Amino acid sequence: MTESERNSIVQLPFDQGTFGIPGYAQLRGRIPLVFLLTALMVTAGFARAEEQAEFFHGKVEPILRRHCYECHSHAANHMENGLALDWKSGWVAGGDRGPAIVPGKPEQSLLIRAVGHGDPDLKMPEKKLDAAEIDLLVEWVRRGAFDDRVVSPRSKDAEIWWSLKLLAAPPIPASQPSAANNGPHPVDAFVQSRLAAIGLSPSPAASPRDLIRRIHFDLVGLPPSPKEVAQFEADPSEVAYRKIVESLLASPRYGERWARHWFDTIHFADSHGYEHDVGRDHAWPYRDYVIDALNSDRPWPTFIRQQLAVDHFEPESGHLIPALGFLGAGTFDFSTYSTGPVTFDYLDRDDMLTQTMATFVSTTANCARCHAHKFDPITQEDYYALQAVFSGVLKGDIQYDSDARTAAERHRLNLLLDASKRSDATVLQSEFSQGLVAKWLSLRGEGADWKPVDMRSFISTEGAKLTREADDSILASGPAPQTDTYVLTLTSPLPRITALRLDLFPHDSLPMKGPGRCNNGNLHLSEVVLTAFPPGEKAGNPVPISRASADFNQEGWAVDRALDGDPKTAWGIHPAVGQPHHAVFELAQPLDMPAGTSLTVTLKQLHGGSHLIGAFRLSVTDRPVAQAVALPREVEEALNVALPQRTATQSQTIAGYVVRLAVESELARLPQPASVYAVARSVKIPTGNGNSQPASIAAPKVVNLLQRGDISKPRAEVPPGALSVLTHRPSRFTDIAPQNEPARRAALADWIAHPDNVLTWRSVVNRVWHYHFGRGLCDTPSDFGRMGGVPSHPELIDWLAVWFRDDAGGSLKKLHHLIVTSHAYRQSSDTRNEAAAIDSDNRLLWRQNRLRLDADAYRDFVLAVSGRIDFTMAGPAIQHFQQSPGAQLTPKLDYAVYDWASPGSNRRSIYRYVWRGIPDPLMSALDFPDLGLLAPTRSNSISPLQALALFNNNFVLFHSQAMARQIGEQTTDIDQQIVEALQRAFQRMPSAVEQEQFRSYVRQHGLAALCRLLPNSSEFLFVP
Amino acid sequence: MQDSISTRRQLLLQSGGGFALLALSQLLERDSTVRGAEGSQYARGFPVQHHPPRVKRIIQLFMTGGASPMDTYDYKPELERLHGQMLGPKEKPEGFTSPAGAIMKSPFSFAQHGQSGRWVSSVFPEQAKLVDEMAFLMAMTTKTNVHGPGTYMMNSGFLLPGFPCMGAWISYAMGNLTDDLPTFVVLPDSRGLPYNQKGCFSSGFLPPVHEGIVIDATAKPPIPDLFPSDRFAFASRSADHDGLELLARINQQYAEAHRGDDRLDARIASYELAAKMQLSAPPAFDLSQESELTHSSYGLAQPETADFGRRCLLARRLIERGVRFVQVWSGPQGAVNNWDNHGNIEKELPPMAVSVDRPIAALLRDLKARGLDQDTLVIWSTEFGRTPFAQGSVGRDHNGGSFVTWLWGAGIKPGVAHGQSDDWGYQAVENKTWCYDLHATVLHLLGIDHTQLSVRQDGIDRRLTDVHGHVVKEILA
Repeated sequence: MTESERNSIVQLPFDQGTFGIPGYAQLRGRIPLVFLLTALMVTAGFARAEEQAEFFHGKVEPILRRHCYECHSHAANHMENGLALDWKSGWVAGGDRGPAIVPGKPEQSLLIRAVGHGDPDLKMPEKKLDAAEIDLLVEWVRRGAFDDRVVSPRSKDAEIWWSLKLLAAPPIPASQPSAANNGPHPVDAFVQSRLAAIGLSPSPAASPRDLIRRIHFDLVGLPPSPKEVAQFEADPSEVAYRKIVESLLASPRYGERWARHWFDTIHFADSHGYEHDVGRDHAWPYRDYVIDALNSDRPWPTFIRQQLAVDHFEPESGHLIPALGFLGAGTFDFSTYSTGPVTFDYLDRDDMLTQTMATFVSTTANCARCHAHKFDPITQEDYYALQAVFSGVLKGDIQYDSDARTAAERHRLNLLLDASKRSDATVLQSEFSQGLVAKWLSLRGEGADWKPVDMRSFISTEGAKLTREADDSILASGPAPQTDTYVLTLTSPLPRITALRLDLFPHDSLPMKGPGRCNNGNLHLSEVVLTAFPPGEKAGNPVPISRASADFNQEGWAVDRALDGDPKTAWGIHPAVGQPHHAVFELAQPLDMPAGTSLTVTLKQLHGGSHLIGAFRLSVTDRPVAQAVALPREVEEALNVALPQRTATQSQTIAGYVVRLAVESELARLPQPASVYAVARSVKIPTGNGNSQPASIAAPKVVNLLQRGDISKPRAEVPPGALSVLTHRPSRFTDIAPQNEPARRAALADWIAHPDNVLTWRSVVNRVWHYHFGRGLCDTPSDFGRMGGVPSHPELIDWLAVWFRDDAGGSLKKLHHLIVTSHAYRQSSDTRNEAAAIDSDNRLLWRQNRLRLDADAYRDFVLAVSGRIDFTMAGPAIQHFQQSPGAQLTPKLDYAVYDWASPGSNRRSIYRYVWRGIPDPLMSALDFPDLGLLAPTRSNSISPLQALALFNNNFVLFHSQAMARQIGEQTTDIDQQIVEALQRAFQRMPSAVEQEQFRSYVRQHGLAALCRLLPNSSEFLFVP
Repeated sequence: MQDSISTRRQLLLQSGGGFALLALSQLLERDSTVRGAEGSQYARGFPVQHHPPRVKRIIQLFMTGGASPMDTYDYKPELERLHGQMLGPKEKPEGFTSPAGAIMKSPFSFAQHGQSGRWVSSVFPEQAKLVDEMAFLMAMTTKTNVHGPGTYMMNSGFLLPGFPCMGAWISYAMGNLTDDLPTFVVLPDSRGLPYNQKGCFSSGFLPPVHEGIVIDATAKPPIPDLFPSDRFAFASRSADHDGLELLARINQQYAEAHRGDDRLDARIASYELAAKMQLSAPPAFDLSQESELTHSSYGLAQPETADFGRRCLLARRLIERGVRFVQVWSGPQGAVNNWDNHGNIEKELPPMAVSVDRPIAALLRDLKARGLDQDTLVIWSTEFGRTPFAQGSVGRDHNGGSFVTWLWGAGIKPGVAHGQSDDWGYQAVENKTWCYDLHATVLHLLGIDHTQLSVRQDGIDRRLTDVHGHVVKEILA
């Protein structure tokens, strides 16, 4: 086959550029390096020049690019009046009117005059710049108009790949008058001018029935009702069509449909994949987030920022944390995580960055892992810079508040808590804090009045010697066991008690003077258990403790650990040894202790290493618990100073403590947080059966460039960053504090969502187009590189990208509306021989494409025709299988035994539990993708095994039966039944021939048998 | 020409959403009587064939868990000398489940067998008799010590999920030999799926029509959804028969109303082929048609060999009837019942070895007796080897450094061995062979140049062999 023959199969009858020339790609790969080196040489060592360059590239160049390049640059191939503003020589030489800028003299510079709109003959651009932008340009010129763009853009230009070209809206081609021309729709202007150029015209509009079915499946993934079809057939006006479009876009079904496309693109599923293919029972909140974001038409830049770093951008909106499920969408190799941690880190981050870059900017950055990208200008350093963006997070379950008010409240309380920990004077001296202090002081009064208990017996279960001292304290002596438990039985001097106090004392006989028996004077109180014995009774009642406080807590060994039921955690007091300490245990409810009642206090000290209590005493109080609480030493001391003598520091110490106390009790009162599978510094990795394993990263890990991608060959450390080939923002994120992990992701989000990122806007409009037409203008929606497709209508992509960014404000719904109201979208999908002879593949869109329903839409359609469909939204995913334990962590799933009458079985496919490694056979038969990898497009196969699945799968059979039953209940007349069945499946009346054929079949085999045939028909499976 | 065929194929595939006509093209190419394929631009060029093939069908035997080389086929006397010495790596290598213990000799005795004098341990007495017919790759090596990625790698050439496995590539490139049965069949251990579940048989980014059809050898029907469940009385045989006829008619009417869309014709054909499969598949799975002698030679009567033996016999029956690629797995994923013998080689390995040894030997003899060895390739493989160092005191840990694979049948030079591991069997040292080389060799035997079989996916022309792979000519006849 010759080159031209090959082109004629699927490629386009227009310029293919240099694509495919051997050696060309290798040449391209070097260019960014050259740039880097040049940039380094020019600026190295000149702080002032560096500053100026930063000002120019950071502030000035973007203004020029956005507002001037369209008419004055090489990239736009347009230099009005001979003026180019995309390099220094351009404005130095100037256009017809002479030099555009006189450095240092804004008032003499034509450029400044033009943008000022003061001169009626020289107003540029047409739409006046913002005052702030003009000020920046004036400032730049005043400071000498620094400009280091000294290389002619022309030489560079020739090699700029389409997707990296400057993004500017090309002029809309003049509309070609034709019968099918529905007026000046910009999309049609572009499409039809291309068609006209090769002598083709668009197809006539699709029939009203075809069109309404098409728009329904496309926008909401469901058929129209027979009534809706009939109405539109009666009134197929423009107004009626637009009304339908608008109501579909406003329907919650829209978000459900388009979320599925998003999940394919980002390989989101409900299990880990790999060897230990564990289910993720908390993946679904991300699904609900996406559906909600789509339904509420969240602007694209916001959608980007939320999914990458909502914790940074909207810290007060904790209810949006599920957005971070985006980064958790991919696979998780639990086995490598457990046994090959370094390999795991690199591969897991690879998964996140591959997904992020493919999804948002249609770039295969992952190809630069082992060497610079062979085809696109992506360096290996860029790749590792992207790794560094994600080096501080792990995938797993994290907690969040699903309720926005709770989330905001928690955020406010946490800010207060931080402020009190930092002793933030402004916060602590605020009226609010002082009010809290005053209230607390009045509640506390004089503090608790502690009465020593009457100790009836005290036993060490490990045989340590416990003796009562003169002051009623107990002292431990003799050989110190490794662990010990003290069982203390006492009676109360008070008839009713609210709290118990444990005092620890230093003693000369103890190591380091105690109060513990460990060599370093420390102790670990693992658990405290109280049991009350009413008079004369042998069986005791447990006495729950609600809270514990202490005057001092060892780091990581706070006193609440003595209540958590975990014998491995405990209260400790190191390094504050050799001094007295105390802890207070508040009872959940006041305990009545009439005479004869005894209380057993069990002090478990199970840490080992003789971390035991050396000297102690117990006392009780009947005061309100607020008065009983143990105060940190410094607070107690501050309180002991009379108010007039108290220093500011002391007052602040008290306020800090009180605020913390108040906040903690408020926090404890908030509803329990929910979980979502996402990313964070600290997560719980699901390990199956509701179990999980905690994991955390203290600070972002160091990422090294790996020579040939080999973990045993780490080279230089790489800071977080993105692609250096784009210059709209610095490509390395160097101003981020080392500990500020979210800022790394936020910097990438800003880099992506930036109005001047040429890839982002092209990527999203093309992706949306792909789903409306079954194929993108560029047919590789996640790869705009040299290995990807060449766009069929590059100008249209650019025009749409700019329109979407500037006019639609990033609104997907506006973009859908624009596309589906074009004639290109609405034309018939039937083939025309004369057009097929020229463009058999319909690349130029002389007709609409006839699409096969995808697995999800097919399944929803079957549910809809059966009359069983349930539109319940949100919540945990529905499992269409029976789960049983597997050999290891992965369970066994059986899809065949699932009962389709189970609750939730009839909800839409988007609510399905998608198990990566054990897919639903029916869905696979209809090309539901393997979500081990990103699936920006789906295949559409036709095979005998697919025929078997559609004909015999339980799902189809069950719903055929349900459909027949429901229709049978409506009417017993066979002809009526056939009409109803066809209305549901095809939204049309049967022809006379069909009526005849179906009648005899139904008579012989029943209505259910007919209902089974309908979802096997091509008319059902194809969207016209 | 070959180049442009595969390019066209890529372009077809790449065109994606709504346009992948592969299934159609297969249907048309395979059987031009289905409909007049003359003049269809998709009919030419399938299957992919770069040179005359030696092999038409393949049975791959996969030992899940990492079969120990130094306890089966890779005799290492040096381990006896160094037994008990702490000579392994000081730090736990990536993917080991625990730090390396002392050097451990094999608890089994080795002897030389056949003309070729291959060393085989006492665990494989039956296969030992056939070593002169096998070609051994003695220095297989892989990139990982972890089951999931390792099993992916041996099947798809990549450590990650989402890539097509060898069976899927072969189905994609060569199409089928029969319409009666699926092209690529997987027979997992009756106790469960291997690591990665069905990920190992995935078609990845190729159309799902190429994925391995998992068949539970004991289930009825053997092929999922071959027949409707008894639960649905209305789906009777006669309703099926008349229904398919009526369906063909309405699909025909629809196709006629929408001329020029080949997919609509392909759908009609797909139901005809499905009906054919309904007729021919059940007998293929009916082992009662085999003789008593065959049953006993495959060990179907003994509980220890019954499961693997049944599946080996089934593999032969399927291959015989035109299935292109059959994968027979020994062992499910998990801590027991497979080749992942961490705890105790002496106790855990022999039951696994017994379960496969006789069935494999029977399979090879049976294939030969029926002349199927003339165009059938058998591959014995695993995801990685095991450490020469003890784990605990008598087990062995994962080791991607070196392991053994053998091939048998058409196009194979019998009685040879290629490559060598070091004296401990720890690392491959001489003529290292990667999965890429194995896959390249298998494709070569099928008449395919592995460098020419590619599909563009996310910016890369993906191959089964990634950017690697050399045909191991030394083991080819």
